[in-house]
Amino acid sequence: MNALLARHRAVLLAYLGMIVLLLLTSFVSQGFLSGSHLRTMAVLSAFIGIVALGQTFVIIGGGIDLSVPWVLNCAAVLVTLMANGADGPLIYAIPIALAGGALVGALNGFGIALFGVPPIIMTLAVNVILQGGILIYTGGAPTASAPPLIQFLAVGRIGPLPVVVLIWAALAVAATLLLSRTAFGRYLYAQGTSATVAEFSGVPTLRITVLAYTLSGFTAAAAGVLLTGYTAQAYLGMGDPYLFTSIAAVAIGGASILGGSGSYIGTIAGALVLTILTGLLPALNLSNGALLVVYGVVILVTVSLASDAVSDFFAVIARSFGRRDNAQS
Amino acid sequence: MTMTLPSAAKPVAKRDGDHARDRSTWLIDRAPFLIACGMLAVLIAIYGTLREGVFSFEELNLDTAAAMTLLLAATGQTIVLLRGGIDLSIGGMISLGTVLAATQFGGSPLQVAFAAVMIALLGFAIGVCNGLLISVLRLQPFLVTLATWSILSGTALMILPTDGGQLPDFWMAFGNASLLGVSSSVGLLVLLVLFWVWFRSTRLGIEIRATGSNQRSAELSGVSILRINLLAYGLSGLFAALAALYLTTQTGTGSPTIGKDYILPSVAAAVIGGISLFGGRGGMIGTIVGAFILTIIGNLVFVLQVSSYWQPVVSGVILLVAVLASSLAEKSARRSLS
Repeated sequence: MNALLARHRAVLLAYLGMIVLLLLTSFVSQGFLSGSHLRTMAVLSAFIGIVALGQTFVIIGGGIDLSVPWVLNCAAVLVTLMANGADGPLIYAIPIALAGGALVGALNGFGIALFGVPPIIMTLAVNVILQGGILIYTGGAPTASAPPLIQFLAVGRIGPLPVVVLIWAALAVAATLLLSRTAFGRYLYAQGTSATVAEFSGVPTLRITVLAYTLSGFTAAAAGVLLTGYTAQAYLGMGDPYLFTSIAAVAIGGASILGGSGSYIGTIAGALVLTILTGLLPALNLSNGALLVVYGVVILVTVSLASDAVSDFFAVIARSFGRRDNAQS
Repeated sequence: MTMTLPSAAKPVAKRDGDHARDRSTWLIDRAPFLIACGMLAVLIAIYGTLREGVFSFEELNLDTAAAMTLLLAATGQTIVLLRGGIDLSIGGMISLGTVLAATQFGGSPLQVAFAAVMIALLGFAIGVCNGLLISVLRLQPFLVTLATWSILSGTALMILPTDGGQLPDFWMAFGNASLLGVSSSVGLLVLLVLFWVWFRSTRLGIEIRATGSNQRSAELSGVSILRINLLAYGLSGLFAALAALYLTTQTGTGSPTIGKDYILPSVAAAVIGGISLFGGRGGMIGTIVGAFILTIIGNLVFVLQVSSYWQPVVSGVILLVAVLASSLAEKSARRSLS
């Protein structure tokens, strides 16, 4: 039991923090826990959560994906341009956008695993190239509006549940199974812990790396398609906030940025924490600047709580308490 | 009675092959830097054929002024990268620096000078905090500086929600002053090179690179990792503050969001110039070349009258080419060692 607690301390802390935040916020602002508001927050968390899904896989494998903002944006722009406001063309528009995202991710993976390019540089360069490419392609002008079907996926409901949250839930189950029940998941953790050891132990590192980045490109593109439904149209720069939030969600969820640890369950808590914090903003009359400060402090605190140094510190305190008890008895 | 004394190691005569090997490892080691120099030469040549008066002192003054903010930011980034870390918080520090300058500069030149020194010291102190968090809590540099970037940008936004503020005229005059045709920016560039020539052979400079190459062996040789982290990130913060101060002489206002435009280019300039992200390899001269490459790409896009959106595309491709060259060089260096 103790071992289980220790292993999942970071995830438990993230959920605990989320619940405390939620109660705190509902105390400050009336109606925060109302059905419609909770639904809005779930929808906003879903977008962060879906982008952060691929990011979780990449970070567990010891990498990082800085190309998500413009992969997301390119997918959004391409889908709306191809569909041009009608549902019919979506039959091929959505698969093309998703495959495009996956392809860019695969390219990232090949550059990193085959040529030894540091992940930060590879994905950063790809992000910048995509940004320039889509700006040249569209001429910097806003694009067509989102077709009704995508709008339904993003803001529609089945019963009391938003469709996008159901999609997120399905993806979450798939991600968790992929991480815990498949060879791919095991290999990913092994590679994130030590790429050298993994390679010598026969882990197909090239394939694992390419798969992880492909997944990240795919989820970023999927989030882009869904997000156009929420904002009703694609606009340039819509992906920018997701660079910070996708990494922050993974970090708050307890994954080490050096790889080898983490879970998607933790990332979900991270996405929820970030969304609740954003919701606090109007409730407490805070400015945008204050939100950024709060974001930074939350990342620092959660990451510190999960760090080895702090757990060593707590272990020392616990041991000294134990010794005192022994001396007294 | 026989006693086996540890025999003094006989000096091994160098074979002929060793010299050739020395030269080839020297070349492989410098390959990324040499490639960057080649790219800069080609870019300048293209720029020179497209426009008249490129090879003039005036053009040098203009380009140096355009590159200087990035150069100052990239100097700090280079020091941190050599240590094997990364500093994303310089974006927040640059924003905060310009905002503080725009709101606190006023009155006599003496007061302005005092405020400028305080901003520089604040940058150093914030960098030291980064180093402290990284060392004491054993956190990853990427996450710590991501968090402090957010905190600093937020603080800048709270002080000044939108671009604004007015800087005194004499402050801006300093940034654009020139003496015998040499602008203050070129003067700063010379100072920066002199700083690097001095810094790289100081004890701190050597220890930072040693720690970046191999933290464990540096630690075993008696290097204090805490001290290295505090000073490396402190210097990065200091140079970010200096970049902010220089930027205000060019723009004349404070901007709470401008800093983010310098985070990734500062890393890119260093990497294009041959700094390894794995620490320990490269130097400031490479970063200067990298920063000028990025600046000249901007000029070229302007002169060719193509969409300015081409600038990020070309920069990205050059970054990829540079880093591919660098990692291939590293691979072949490792192969020739084994």
